[in-house]
Amino acid sequence: MSNVAGKAYAMNVLTPIRWYTAWLNKLIFWVALKIPSTLKGLITLSLIHYARWVIIGPKQFPHLSPQQPREELKYAYMLFFSNFNGSWDQYVDSFSFAIPAGLDMFWKWNLRYPRSIALTPFHQYIRFNQIETIHYYNAYPLATSNDVKSAHAVRNALLAFQQGSDVSDEAFMTRYKALLRSLQHDLGDMAPTPIVSMSAYQVERRERWHASLPKEGKPPAPTAGQEASHAS
Amino acid sequence: MPANVSGRAYALTALSPIREGWTSDGIAYADVVRDRLQGWNTEPNSPMTGVPNTYLCRFFVLDDVYHQSLPGAGVLDTLSDLLPVLPNALRKSVLPAEDHLKSRYLVFSSELHGGVDGDVDAYLRGMWGAIESRIREVWGWCHGFEQVTDGAGFAAYIRKCQLPAALFFNGSNDDPLAEQLKALYLKQEFTRFAVDSQGLDAATLRRRMAEFMQRVDPPNIAGPTWSPGRYRL
Repeated sequence: MSNVAGKAYAMNVLTPIRWYTAWLNKLIFWVALKIPSTLKGLITLSLIHYARWVIIGPKQFPHLSPQQPREELKYAYMLFFSNFNGSWDQYVDSFSFAIPAGLDMFWKWNLRYPRSIALTPFHQYIRFNQIETIHYYNAYPLATSNDVKSAHAVRNALLAFQQGSDVSDEAFMTRYKALLRSLQHDLGDMAPTPIVSMSAYQVERRERWHASLPKEGKPPAPTAGQEASHAS
Repeated sequence: MPANVSGRAYALTALSPIREGWTSDGIAYADVVRDRLQGWNTEPNSPMTGVPNTYLCRFFVLDDVYHQSLPGAGVLDTLSDLLPVLPNALRKSVLPAEDHLKSRYLVFSSELHGGVDGDVDAYLRGMWGAIESRIREVWGWCHGFEQVTDGAGFAAYIRKCQLPAALFFNGSNDDPLAEQLKALYLKQEFTRFAVDSQGLDAATLRRRMAEFMQRVDPPNIAGPTWSPGRYRL
């Protein structure tokens, strides 16, 4: 199981909706899509890389061959996928605090949705209905969503800086200081967190294990002491 | 514009039904899929590093639909949950119904750069070209996959498994992955340069900046840059 890849967390939540209210949910999403200002609250949650909602009707599960039995479901289902930075609690709470009304609007028609406030029932609802990811891949494990956005600004600024020319060292210095000032909010070291991800931890354990190998023969099994030192 | 697309980013959601069956060791095919994916976590890096333009992606096995909740807030819910003296049939009639899937599904969800046209077929053909054998490892246990023989076939297959997004929110940016990685490389390098260059006189700084620009080569996407999935700097 690996809900974490670098600084990103993968959340999957599956919740049922009565088939006769599923269209209302779709309508709400359609309106959100047509009027992007309705998503302003989500944009303030800059810890999100990407998020999506998928509504599957009772008869819309993919059917690929005659040997596959057809589904006979009573409910439609809403799948929510999110990629965010930080911990589960930080994310769920930031949703509740920043956009409680928007959250309620998106989940309103889901069966027994408790509303986003108070926090504890909402936490339980998400935990109860969350599905663990088995394999999660992140193309930039060391970067947050804000890093990706700010890196875009840094590159553009450096490209523009490269286009300029300076008649003197002093003129260069003036331009360089202006560059740094303009990038004050975008610079920062992207260091690994103590355990970047569970899979990276596995990789590291394997690398250490292999580094200890004799050149010939089978690797020694990791000892209990080694396990304990890695876990600490 | 379809809801799968946000700018040049594309949200791909595919549910591939896993065949009902067991290996000669008595392991359910769905568990074999799960085990293979779990194995990817212990490799030096994900096989998906080889697939161009994948920002983030995930795999899991959906065993069943389920629903767990606290008692609802409706009058009927509350009454029925609080009054066990009510006939059981009446009590159950206001509880959520039990629902089950007949197949288990391999869920593949990817956020990718699809370009202005949201060309997911090109992405899937690229995925086949990059990691065909790894695709077979996991999708080989799914209904209908036996007919897939090439990249175009894989793209068509995933299209049949695809579910449309009702809403896709892009909180990042939608540049091609190579551009994002180059930008991240530049951000990291320039941050270090700025820290290391504090207090230098103008002439020295100007010379070092020229050397820096030559080394990091901002316009050149191909390199130097970060490689996809890189965990160490």
